[in-house]
Amino acid sequence: MSNAHPDLDLLTEYTAGSLPLTQSACISLHISQCTRCQRIAGQLADLGACLFEAQEPSTVGDAQLDAVLARLDEEPPLSYAKASKDIGNTPAVLQRLMRGDFSDLSWKNIGSALRISYLQTGDPQHELAIYHFKAGGRIPEHTHRGSEMTLILQGGFSDADGSYHKGDFLVRRQGDVHAPTALQSEDCICLVVLDAPLKFTDWKFRWMNPFLKLRTTA
Amino acid sequence: MMIVTDNFDDETESQVASKEKRTDEWSECLTLVGQNGDRAAFTRLFRHFAPLMKAFALSGSTLSANNADELVQEVMIKVWQKAGAYNAEKAAASTWIYTIARNSRTDLFRRLQKFDTPLSADDIAGSQESEEAFMMLHQKRGRDRIRTLISGLPSDQAQILAKVYMEGKSHSEVAGELDIPLGTVKSRVRLALQKLQIRFEE
Ligand SMILES: [Zn+2]
Repeated sequence: MSNAHPDLDLLTEYTAGSLPLTQSACISLHISQCTRCQRIAGQLADLGACLFEAQEPSTVGDAQLDAVLARLDEEPPLSYAKASKDIGNTPAVLQRLMRGDFSDLSWKNIGSALRISYLQTGDPQHELAIYHFKAGGRIPEHTHRGSEMTLILQGGFSDADGSYHKGDFLVRRQGDVHAPTALQSEDCICLVVLDAPLKFTDWKFRWMNPFLKLRTTA
Repeated sequence: MMIVTDNFDDETESQVASKEKRTDEWSECLTLVGQNGDRAAFTRLFRHFAPLMKAFALSGSTLSANNADELVQEVMIKVWQKAGAYNAEKAAASTWIYTIARNSRTDLFRRLQKFDTPLSADDIAGSQESEEAFMMLHQKRGRDRIRTLISGLPSDQAQILAKVYMEGKSHSEVAGELDIPLGTVKSRVRLALQKLQIRFEE
């Protein structure tokens, strides 16, 4: 089980349904593999249901009921029969955003240790991307202009704060500087949500900053 | 195996038991709908939940009455179509139905903002169910405890929870609306969760 989790504030907003789509997708992928967070999210959903039932009911007339009863024989939309199993390395949630496996994505190389593939989510304020670090590769030191959520899908990495593995969920806030290094044993694949572009602080890579615009479309 | 200890006195236990029965009524209805396509059971669910859904749709939002009525219809039809997947041993009917209502409202907000995405809220925030038996017992007791304790929350905490859960506002939106610091919103939510004895660690 994972050691790095979304904090209680994020889990509350996640279960209340107020997080942006991309952040919500990232957290749901963590929860699907974390029994601790399943337990908390389950309790928070029950809390939502208790508040829901404690509301002052509005008036809904019989015409509404009749309209619904008349529509019960409609065929359910095809999307209800969604794929709910992970295929290969691709978690079920991501299957809706990409075709094939991670190896079939189109990648942009950022230096020799990192390549990035941007997923199209329709979220205008956030970028959802898959980062692929070569085993042992060091990412140039960078700082965050906004917040960054990371979920490790494969492998792991370490930075000054510790080391992280598959299923771990991390948030970096504005102004945090770090230089993660992928573990030596295998390549590391992460799902990353950004609300503002990264900024490289390592002088050798500063030339890349103007190119690191937020990509909300691929 | 976890040992769940309860510190309820007898009176609270019986209150909890009577509420449990009421909850079970909806779980039975939903099971009948899922297994037999029972329209009478569905009508009972409609009469109880549709007025709550409409209140939820209109809660602190900019949705018109028309949009709210459409949402109620959409959610109730989803309840009918998805009821076959409902398992009363894994989730209370109210939580299962609330989750569908919440996700449908999120999707409606996104559609109204012309936010075009291949993901629906059900894809990413469906009901989180656990397979472990002790979890189900644990959750059931937790749910009963929340119901009992919720009326005792101080009004500032109850107000924040209503904004977060019923109005679907983010912590920072709530802070902006009430003109209080974000940290105050977060700490009120956390205090409320503590009072409701929501458990974060085993
Ligand atoms: Zn977790």
